[in-house]
Order: sequence, then C-alpha cells, then structure tokens
Amino acid sequence: MAAAGNAKPVHLMNFSYFRPLALAVCALGATNYVAAQAPAPAATTAAPGQTAEPRSINEWLMRMHEASRNRSYVGTFVVSSGGVMSSAKIWHVCDGTQQIEKVETLTGAPRTVFRHNDQVVTFMPDQKVVRAEKQESLGLFPQLLKSTDSHIADFYKARQEGSERVAGVEADIVALIPRDTMRFGYRVWAEQKKGMVVKLQTLDADGKVLEQAAFSELQLDAPVRIDKLAQMMAKVDGYRVEKPGLVKTTASAEGWVMKTPVPGFQSMSCYKRPLAGQSGSEPMQWVFSDGLASVSIFVESFDTQRHLRESRVSLGATQSLTRRIDAYWLTVMGEVPMATLSLFANGLERRK
Amino acid sequence: MKPMTQHSELISALADGQLASEDFARALAACEADAQALDSWNTYHLIGDVLRSPELSPHAADTAFVERLRVRLSQEPIVVAAPALPEVRHAPAGRVGEEAANDASFPWRLVAGFASVAAVAAIAWNAGAGLLSPSTAPQLARTEPAAQQVLVVSEQGTLVRDARTQELLAAHRQLGGTSALQMPSGFLRNATFESPQGERR
Repeated sequence: MAAAGNAKPVHLMNFSYFRPLALAVCALGATNYVAAQAPAPAATTAAPGQTAEPRSINEWLMRMHEASRNRSYVGTFVVSSGGVMSSAKIWHVCDGTQQIEKVETLTGAPRTVFRHNDQVVTFMPDQKVVRAEKQESLGLFPQLLKSTDSHIADFYKARQEGSERVAGVEADIVALIPRDTMRFGYRVWAEQKKGMVVKLQTLDADGKVLEQAAFSELQLDAPVRIDKLAQMMAKVDGYRVEKPGLVKTTASAEGWVMKTPVPGFQSMSCYKRPLAGQSGSEPMQWVFSDGLASVSIFVESFDTQRHLRESRVSLGATQSLTRRIDAYWLTVMGEVPMATLSLFANGLERRK
Repeated sequence: MKPMTQHSELISALADGQLASEDFARALAACEADAQALDSWNTYHLIGDVLRSPELSPHAADTAFVERLRVRLSQEPIVVAAPALPEVRHAPAGRVGEEAANDASFPWRLVAGFASVAAVAAIAWNAGAGLLSPSTAPQLARTEPAAQQVLVVSEQGTLVRDARTQELLAAHRQLGGTSALQMPSGFLRNATFESPQGERR
C-alpha cells in the first residue's frame, strides 16, 4: 500500500519535468514557424486550420462563442493586469435568442453592469448615475468569423496544449499563436463539454503573461432568470440616466486616411465623441481589429496646455502612445505590441 | 429657542429623508414660510450633489481656479484637518449649549459639513495634482502647471499617465471590443476591469 503510494508521486514528478521541456520544444518550433511566415503578405488566403490540428482556430472560436450563448451560469471572475487585480460576480443567462448578463464589481468603485444583447447599462450607485449605451461591437461576432473575408486564421493559429482544471471544471488549453510579431498571443482555457472560456491569458512575444482573466468559481447551468435580470436592469428610479452622445462617422469624412494599412487590421467603426466640459473640435475614435486584438486611434486638436509631451504607456496588455501631427494630437491604444501602435501612428495621414 | 436654528435642523433632517408624517409636514411648512429654511434645503442638496458627482467639482477646465487653490493649499501646513477637527466639535456645543445635548446628531452635522469641505478640497486637490503625494505636488505644479499626471508603476518601470488617458482607455475598452475573444470573456474582462481604473467610466 505504502509502496504504491510512493510510486505515484515519482511518476508525476517525472512528467512535470518533462512537460515544460516539451512545451519549450513546441514553442521553439512555433518561433521558427512564425519567422518563416512573418514576411507573408496579408493577401494570402491560407486554408483555415493546419493539417496536424484537430480543430481549426475558427472552429475553436466558434465553439467558445456558441458555448457562452447556450449556457447559464453564476461565477466570480478575476482579472489581473499591469499589477492591478479586479474581480466581479457574474450572472449570465441565454435562451438561444437573447442573452442577458449582470456583472457586479467586487473591487474598486461599486458598479453593476447589465448587458442585454448589445444594450449595456452601467449603474454607478456612488454617483447615482446610470450610463446606458449600445455596444454595436458586441453584435459583430460571429460575423467576424463567418464572413468570407475573415482573416483570423491568416494571422493566428491554434494549438491544443493539453488540459487543466479551472474553477472546478476540466478545460482544454488552446494556444492562439500569432503568425507575425505585430500581435500578442493568447492562451485560452475552454471548458471541455461545451467550450466555454473559463480562463484567458494574453502573452507577449517571449511568452510572458501580460494579462490574465479567469473564473475563480463557477456554477454552470445555474438557475438564472432572464425576466428577473431584465427587471433589475430597467430599475433606474432615483438615478440620473446618461447617454453618451456618440456620433457615427467615417475617418475619410473627418479628413483622415490610413495611408499604410497595418497587416491584418481592418477598420471596424469610427465615432465622434463629444466630451463634457470641452468645446472645440470633437475627438474622433477610429477602431481597428484583426479579429482578436483591437486598436483605437483617437484624434483631437492639439492643445499646448494639455498635450505636453509624446509618451508611451503600457498597462498590462494594453499599450498606448501619443504623438503630435501638425495641429492634431494622436493617441493610439490597443492590446498589441508598442511597435504595432507605431505602425498605426506612422500610417495615419491627414487628407486635405 | 431660536426658530431659525430649529428650522435648519429640521431641514437637515428632511434632506436626509429622516422625517415622517407630522415632522415632515412641519418641515414643508417651514420651507414655505421661511426663505432661509428653503436656502438651507438648497445648500444641503448642493453639498450632496457635489459629493456624489465628481464632475460637479472643479476639474481640468478651471485651470485658473485650480491654480489659485493650489497656491493657497501650498501655503497651508500639510496636515490641515487634524488640528481643526476638535475645534469644530467643541464650537457648536459651546454656542448652542443644551440644544446640542438634546440632539446628538447636531455636532456631527457640523463635522460632516467640515468633512464635505475637506472632501471637496481633496477632490479639487486631486484634480489639480493627480495622485502625486502632497509633498511633491507643489514643486511639480510650479514647473508644469497644466499637467494632470498620474504615476503608474509597472513592471516596465515608472510611467506617466494622465486623466485624459484614463478616459481614452475607457473609450477604447467600450468601443474597441471588436474581437472574437471579446464575446465570451472580453465583455466580462472589460466590465470587471474598468472599475478600479477610471473613476468616471
């Protein structure tokens, strides 16, 4: 009995030594692969999924998406980024056609965020303010994957890296590896039965974890009721309701053009955002995405009082840089390497 | 007893939502009859509004005001509140005598009043000097009057961030969620993550 008990840990130890080695070998292979692929132009229509992989990246992503659609759950979600750790309690329910979610922050200022499909309502009890907005981007998926011009597979590949237990459920670990140096990689833990994402890491080129988000506790198929959540979402008595006055526009209408597009990143939307207490030209926000990472370009008129020096800021996975272009002040921000932000800043041109 | 003091007490309780039935009716009547009571009502609400809504407090636009405030604050000893507090606590007790004894909340009201002023000053201080420690703020303020910088220490070293960057970060999180990964977990990430970052968004 005792001998058998001893034998097992030794076996496990051997394996645990072996595993990082195996991963390192895989990673080396991946690096070579990426290096070989790096000069490949964006136009190549690589067949989605590589021969050796059981599921293509699009299949993995679609599965993850479907899993969150047809599941109801209650859980605690923890995000760790740039030395800051935040957590929230989540209620999620979906009946196949409509999706409703409640997020109650457990750290920082008290906030309750409700999402009903693409409608997002944020309660700020300390200020007695409710912010109501429509987040069109939430509706964009799965068109991002289904559309014929989906380029995700051209810029990332998926590789399964075994499995692990997260928040009490067995999960497949899937690495989403960038094919060039212009984007970060991800490691996703997808629950085995249906594929729901239970943990997500954003990794830099060296494999260092920049940001990590995971359920610490999860109750799947919990009795969450759509009508109850919808009722709570509509209860704004005693609150001042704010609606951000976003104005949809196009970059070319605002006089801007991306002279040198950044490979893989497509223009998603463009808005003018009038700011409270500020007059003058309205800041513009132009959003790009490669399917997984997104980049925002903010353009506002240059102000000697506020725009003192060009800067580069890095907070977890989110990077940002500022730059002056003649009479304008540019802020480029996104979950991509700083060098990619520079490409965006260099590629932008004022069309007069 | 002085009717005016009684009224302001009553109005204060009304503003706090503590009154019911008879007292409530009495307070409303006082508002109608006494212009000063109505004034107090408005003042209490103004204080409440400012405390609840950071955007009502002086911010970036009021550079001149913040500058003046900063100069005044820099002339004050750093520990402003501590010596002042006992004075506030005793002054009303001495002035109003036994009435304060009748109403335990009364001195607290004044302390709370002082706290409001202190809080407003603190908000203004933050607006002017970011999260810099008070000892370094005035020096930096002299060299870069308009900067609202926040120092962020990360693994990449000490970085400088300003309130505007915070705002843009929130905007990026809100509209930049066009990712296949955003759908399952990105929304949760953004909703969870934004709170300790931006005070407003």
